[in-house]
Amino acid sequence: MATTEGALAGVHILDLTDERGIYGAKLLADLGADVVRPEPPGGDPLRQRGPHRQGVADGSTSLWHAFFASSRRFFAVDPTTPEGAEQLRRLVERSDIVLTCDGSFGTAAVDLDTARKQQPELVVVDTSSFGPNGPWRDYLAPDLVAGALGGACATTGDVDTTPLKAFGELNFMVSGAYVAIAALGALYNVRQTESGQQVDVPVHECIASCLEHVFMWTWYGDDLAHAEGPSLPRRGSLHWSNAYVVMQAVSGSIMVTPAPDPQALILWLVQEEAHEDLLDEKWLEPENLLAYTERLMQLVRDWVAKQDVEELFFEAQSRHCPFGWVLPIEKVALNPQLEARQWWVPYRAGTVETRGPGAPYRFTETPCSLGSYGEPGADSAAILADIGWEDAS
Amino acid sequence: MSRPLDGIRILDFTHVLAGPFATRVLGDMGADVVKVNSATRAEGANSAAHPYYIMWNRNKRALALDMSNEATHPICQRLCQRADVIIDNFSVGVLDRWGIGYETVSATNPAVIYVQMSGMGEGGPWSDFITYAPTIHALAGLTHLTGVPGREDIGLGFSYNDHQVGLHGAVVILAALEARQRTGRGQRVDVSQFEVGTNFAGPSLLDYFANGRAARPTGNRLPYDDAAPHDCYPCAGASSDAIEDERWVAIACMTDAQWQALRKLMGDPTWAAEPAFDTAKGRVDGLERLNAGVADWTSKLDASDVMTKCQRAGVPAGVVQTGADLAEHDPQLALTDFLHAIEDPHPTIGSTYADRLPIHFHGTPCEEYVRSREVGEDNAAVLKDWLDMPEEEVRRNEEDGTLT
Repeated sequence: MATTEGALAGVHILDLTDERGIYGAKLLADLGADVVRPEPPGGDPLRQRGPHRQGVADGSTSLWHAFFASSRRFFAVDPTTPEGAEQLRRLVERSDIVLTCDGSFGTAAVDLDTARKQQPELVVVDTSSFGPNGPWRDYLAPDLVAGALGGACATTGDVDTTPLKAFGELNFMVSGAYVAIAALGALYNVRQTESGQQVDVPVHECIASCLEHVFMWTWYGDDLAHAEGPSLPRRGSLHWSNAYVVMQAVSGSIMVTPAPDPQALILWLVQEEAHEDLLDEKWLEPENLLAYTERLMQLVRDWVAKQDVEELFFEAQSRHCPFGWVLPIEKVALNPQLEARQWWVPYRAGTVETRGPGAPYRFTETPCSLGSYGEPGADSAAILADIGWEDAS
Repeated sequence: MSRPLDGIRILDFTHVLAGPFATRVLGDMGADVVKVNSATRAEGANSAAHPYYIMWNRNKRALALDMSNEATHPICQRLCQRADVIIDNFSVGVLDRWGIGYETVSATNPAVIYVQMSGMGEGGPWSDFITYAPTIHALAGLTHLTGVPGREDIGLGFSYNDHQVGLHGAVVILAALEARQRTGRGQRVDVSQFEVGTNFAGPSLLDYFANGRAARPTGNRLPYDDAAPHDCYPCAGASSDAIEDERWVAIACMTDAQWQALRKLMGDPTWAAEPAFDTAKGRVDGLERLNAGVADWTSKLDASDVMTKCQRAGVPAGVVQTGADLAEHDPQLALTDFLHAIEDPHPTIGSTYADRLPIHFHGTPCEEYVRSREVGEDNAAVLKDWLDMPEEEVRRNEEDGTLT
């Protein structure tokens, strides 16, 4: 069952999203909205996404689905039957917000244009890969292709690799976050004006809106000392600003930066007697600034290579240097900060109980509380009762 | 025409990217965002003339308040009484030291929504740690996981998590507004940038806890599902030897039918007829041969042609677009004038540009784009609107250094 005490308690949402929008539905559900997710009688195809519990894919073991479809109520329905179509229509009728992705399950069976006329306060948020118009409107774009066309891949990777997508679903998690904003922005407007509306969220634009390095390079390259053309190349871990880079230390690697105060890093090198010629007066000449920065980072790299990564990280943070220890997932899972903030929450998937990420924020008055995760169609009976379906059993 | 958040007042103490991105989104949607900056803080990426600042601070009004000067605090406290939302991304405790902590403000403005977006969140042994987005990427596993097997770490070359923290910040503000609608009360929201970042590895963390299996980088392969080809492939047409001029296309066959369509498109080469390639698992098992064959085909072709042919055949494919591609050749972005020049020239740097809010509200369209403002450029208008302060008083405060 969904939580009823979160910030969005009392808000009814119909979740007809696929990968492109499901993260948005998750955000809203974890915030306490009552989010119903219809699925075919055989189960949501996204229940086939790995990883799976105990490595077995049987439609109820997907940890991917448990994460992205958290806090939902699941409703089994066949939208090709008159009964199923009517059930979906009634679900729309009880909804404040309907989330769709063009062509996703159930969307062909519901007439949302008519519904919006009959329910003036209804909000419909439709996520599509490229928007409702244009030559690429019907292009197929899973996360890799979306990231390539959206501009995220071209700058990720290195000279000896292909362009890379980010691990996981990071492109669709951007569009998902925008879906949640779109839904809540429109809902706020409903509360003021009693008018719902249709809202479109193109994934392509969402990705492009989160590329500070790409467009800044194109628009303001002349103002950036290290820009050499309109397109930033992929260049390994080196951040577009040249201010952050991953270096190899003993027993692991660490993200190193001279920001926000290069003098603090230089002082540290001096204390460690690793500064070599950094204090030479020649570096005071303005024309030597770039060469000085390169020299500084080379000395830092040589010094870091001799340091234990864990000790280096904690010493850096004690000096207010925002280094980042590059952690593998097993160390992230054991992080003391996450443990202390009681971030992990129980995830019940079938008969197995494990734990996983909670909501990444704390509300003082309306706390987030992830609901339990159900089998395919687990909440069908209760949902049929909600919509007044006489055959509810 | 009205915008969805018309009438919402946001007092914005954020800096750099994560916080400003949250308020940029809300400003795009019509909220009256008052960005607090000062001449003393306006350095580097916080300088009002820096491209970075310009990118994240459109659709906001600029108020100059040097919070290190206690003379500004009474004005600031009055502004806090009028705000629907107060937001900062300083380390925990900074606003308390300025006399505008949540307890103080909410005592007289109980409807206020007070959002703090610190690196590690409040409390816990790492709560005082200093972080930027690359710090979070490293600690959250994203740097380790975004790479190729057997190679030193690569990670993300830009501040992905800052954008996402901004988006999540906008989500929590809007959710708290809905809760306020119901309860009549505001609240404080503590957003942990670290938890936002770690959340993105959610399925892998569940895999670790449930199965004891630790994810490792997989390049462009899906980490858990069989799909192949699923990679970026080189194309012809590089305009120079520079890496940024290389041409690539991403192809992602998510089904066997898409693979068969691609195979046909490639002219049914002998290597692709291998029976093992009929299944996704077989293709993943033979990935090296498969990718070599696909790359051999794409490398003789223009990336746009590969994309068009593939898409016509029902195969997901897309050019790996550079910034220049997006700005100059992308027909979808051109259709909505997504990348555009702002009409009003910036007083210091002249022409500025903006992308658009990627949310298209049919009933309350968000089409206004006001350029990023100079420090204190809107002092008089903001203080008139929020505090009904006469212009002479504003000028006096500017002259005595209170509003600078």
